[in-house]
Amino acid sequence: MSPRRERLLRAWRRLWKPPRRLRTTPAGRTYLVLCFGVGLGALNTGNNLLYLVLGLQLSIIVASGILSERCVRRVEVRRLLPAAPRARSPFHLAWGLRLARGQSFALSVAEVHPVLGVAVGRLAWLPAGEELVVRAVATAPRRGPVHLSAIRLATTFPFGLFVKIRDVEVPGDLLVLPGRVLPPPEPPAPSSGLGLEQRSLRGLDGGGDLAQLRELREGEDARRIHWRKSAQLGILLRVERDAQPQPRIVLQLDDRAPAEALDGRCEELAARAELLLARGAEVGLECTGGLSVKPGAGAFHSHAILQALARAGQTEEAG
Amino acid sequence: MSTERLRLVLRDLAAAAAFAAMAISGQVPAWTIALFFLALVVALTGRRPLADGRLSAVALLLAVILLYAAVMVEQLDLVVAACITASLLTAQRMLSRPTPRTTDQVQLASLLMIAGGAVLSADLLFALCLFGYTALAVLSQGLSVVAASGPGPFPSTSRVFRPLAGGLALAMAGALLFFVLFPRLSWNVAARRGGASLGGGTTGFADGLRLGGSGVLKSNPRVVFRARIDPDPGTDALDAYWVGRRYDTFDGVQWSTRGRPSPPVRQVTLGPVEADLVRQEIDLLPAYGSRTLVALDAPVFLGDAESHQATFTVRTELIPSGDREVRLLGPSEHVTYRALSATDRAGPAPIDAAEKARRLQLPKYIDPRILALAGTLSEGAVGDRAIARQLERALQTGYGYTLELPGRVKDPLADFLFDRRQGHCEDFATALAVLLRAKQIPARVVVGFHGGERAAGEYLVRAGDAHAWVEAEVDGHVLRLDATPPQHRSAAETGLTGWFLARWEALQIRWLDRVVEYSLSDQNRLAQRFRGGTATPDRPASRKAGRGAGVALGVLGVALLIAALLGRRAAAGDATVLGRSLQRLLRRRGRLGPGGWLDGAPVDEVELLPVREGIARYREARFGRRPLGPGEARRLVRRARQALRGVPSTSPTTPERPASRA
Repeated sequence: MSPRRERLLRAWRRLWKPPRRLRTTPAGRTYLVLCFGVGLGALNTGNNLLYLVLGLQLSIIVASGILSERCVRRVEVRRLLPAAPRARSPFHLAWGLRLARGQSFALSVAEVHPVLGVAVGRLAWLPAGEELVVRAVATAPRRGPVHLSAIRLATTFPFGLFVKIRDVEVPGDLLVLPGRVLPPPEPPAPSSGLGLEQRSLRGLDGGGDLAQLRELREGEDARRIHWRKSAQLGILLRVERDAQPQPRIVLQLDDRAPAEALDGRCEELAARAELLLARGAEVGLECTGGLSVKPGAGAFHSHAILQALARAGQTEEAG
Repeated sequence: MSTERLRLVLRDLAAAAAFAAMAISGQVPAWTIALFFLALVVALTGRRPLADGRLSAVALLLAVILLYAAVMVEQLDLVVAACITASLLTAQRMLSRPTPRTTDQVQLASLLMIAGGAVLSADLLFALCLFGYTALAVLSQGLSVVAASGPGPFPSTSRVFRPLAGGLALAMAGALLFFVLFPRLSWNVAARRGGASLGGGTTGFADGLRLGGSGVLKSNPRVVFRARIDPDPGTDALDAYWVGRRYDTFDGVQWSTRGRPSPPVRQVTLGPVEADLVRQEIDLLPAYGSRTLVALDAPVFLGDAESHQATFTVRTELIPSGDREVRLLGPSEHVTYRALSATDRAGPAPIDAAEKARRLQLPKYIDPRILALAGTLSEGAVGDRAIARQLERALQTGYGYTLELPGRVKDPLADFLFDRRQGHCEDFATALAVLLRAKQIPARVVVGFHGGERAAGEYLVRAGDAHAWVEAEVDGHVLRLDATPPQHRSAAETGLTGWFLARWEALQIRWLDRVVEYSLSDQNRLAQRFRGGTATPDRPASRKAGRGAGVALGVLGVALLIAALLGRRAAAGDATVLGRSLQRLLRRRGRLGPGGWLDGAPVDEVELLPVREGIARYREARFGRRPLGPGEARRLVRRARQALRGVPSTSPTTPERPASRA
């Protein structure tokens, strides 16, 4: 769709979408029933004082609309997304609220999203000229990108009868990383679609000067054994040097699997990648769909792997 | 007081105002008033003894069942029962644990009480209660909503109240506009009229007049009827007698009337209807509380009575009892009728022998001293008229006036004449009538009103204007005699309270006229007026409606202006106000830099620390996203002003004018 057409379409939608929405609270519903009752009583009896009370009740609704509009109209809002939200783990959604002039009361902020919209941040008072950050705890059930289109500002001020809602269009994307699971003890079977391949070691013996000799542990590479000293002492000793060799591991993922199974595999690989990276290995990722991350180490690389795993196999947004 | 406490106090006071709106009708039982008052006092002290609320909820449910059982057996009015239920519910919620939910419940139950008050009462006090309730409820609810909305900085109450005050003004103006403009289309399914309000009917003409009453009515300032008189006497205080009922039989303690009432008629003629008569349009208000009609002395015609129901008006018939009394056929709380009265009693008023005998009859037992006194007081007077006038004068000058009488005595007349020598109008009238009868002059006692206070082209007569006097038949003519000292004939003076109550009653009349009785016809006239139509000077109601709409629109305009100003002020924020104030101070002292100190010049150029602090704080608040705290701006300006007070002004002096043109 051409940008011009998209703009026109958006304008058309906005034309038919009310700028504000109003929802009644339980007290508001009772109030409306009372209004109806008083109105009925006034019509039935012709009692002028009932007309006066009815007029006051209706005016209160109008005044409520005006005051609540003043609360939400000029609020500027920006989204402060969390850096590494994990699926099924609570994380903080935050919004920065600012008001150029005036003041707002009893604000609540939430994302316009079916899942993340449950998390609501609240603020009693927003004075002018100061940005206040409102936080809410959210949980995403699945990994993957979440497209956020708008932020919902709402207020029950002044009388708590209605919730005045204003949706502010602030497009943004939140990438939910795979959830945390315990890494499996054994490497996955080749047939599982979850590959783990040790491609190479950087040098057989590490690099640098000899640092120390220590007893060879079970499972360690026999090529590191210092044979002369081992023969002298009668136990197997291995050489340790200043620069230890880093294993370079490329994780392989078949991302054509069904969504739920793929989520599980991604979480498992994420756990494995984090474990390997924590142990100092260089970890890469290759997906059958073409997505890949070159092997690397460190926290930043860990985030890159997790982000790749979050996006693996995703054609629609998560959440 | 903490915000939470203030919120609850406002909530409870709002509920009290709503309850008062019902209670002023006088129809709410005393036990309900006592119970609610007790709950209010407990709630205002901050105690919530019904925190759990289960037991009290069960008790409340039982009470409601009992109330509606009383309604079923016709022991209690349904509306009153609903009002009592609402007040009990409010009291129970007030004493429960204060949560946002209970606060909402208290407010909504209070609204029910307000609606109940609107049904039960038509008093001006209702307007005050409604206003009080609205103001308190709006403020309390606003605070509750902000308090319940979660964490973050909590604003000072004044910051919350500011927009709420604007909203309140807007709501009031909107209510007024709605009231004026909303079409009065009624289905009249369950019409019900407001009662006589707190205190009920006050005048209450009884079938007999018993001596020994305390005379409390004399200090009651409630307006009981109003009259438009044509030709208009044009005086502020009317010196006139309004005849209500005449008594001719006295048994020593009580006056009564003999005679059978006639069949109901629409119009009653009591004398010759001539051209030179005073025409009266009389409006008996709910506080009147009696079926006896009154008219200026001496009435010759009464008729065209209309009983005003809630949504319609019906012609009502009258029952005359000779010239002793004319009363309405049925009870009604608001009646209007026409009366014509003769200005003088020049013509003869012949009475038959039986009537004359009745008016001469003395009690079976009469203290012989009274007969002797009649002779003593009339000594020297020749002729019935002279005797009557002398007796009248003797009582006026020789006896004192008091409203504080002891309880019942065996012979109240002898007690008045010989022991206390003080009494009120009934004592004076009785004494004069008996003394006249002792001198063989036919006389009877008349009760009604004396006086009238002018207001808006009408004369208002109060319950305190109730009076008693004597009519004697002298030389074939009726002679009105009033032995009560002149200064005590109308309502008793009650000082500032009386003045206030009198003004209040005048307002009450306007309230009834312009609000309670506002109707579809008023709206039609208003619409015609706006269409540039046929309003004529003889249509006061159209002027009234037009004025009402004008007032409503004016109030709405003022409310919008106030709201806009408040909004602008709130929008400007404290930082701007602080900046302006400091700038003004510095300009006055001639220390404002050419570019304006507050907009760019280094702060250090101001040598005074408090001023420098103020400017720095202003900049932080305006540009540095560090807002001012509550009252901080005021504090800073005050300190800056104090600091600048001790510094000599450097403002340039005004150049001297040239003494002469060059």
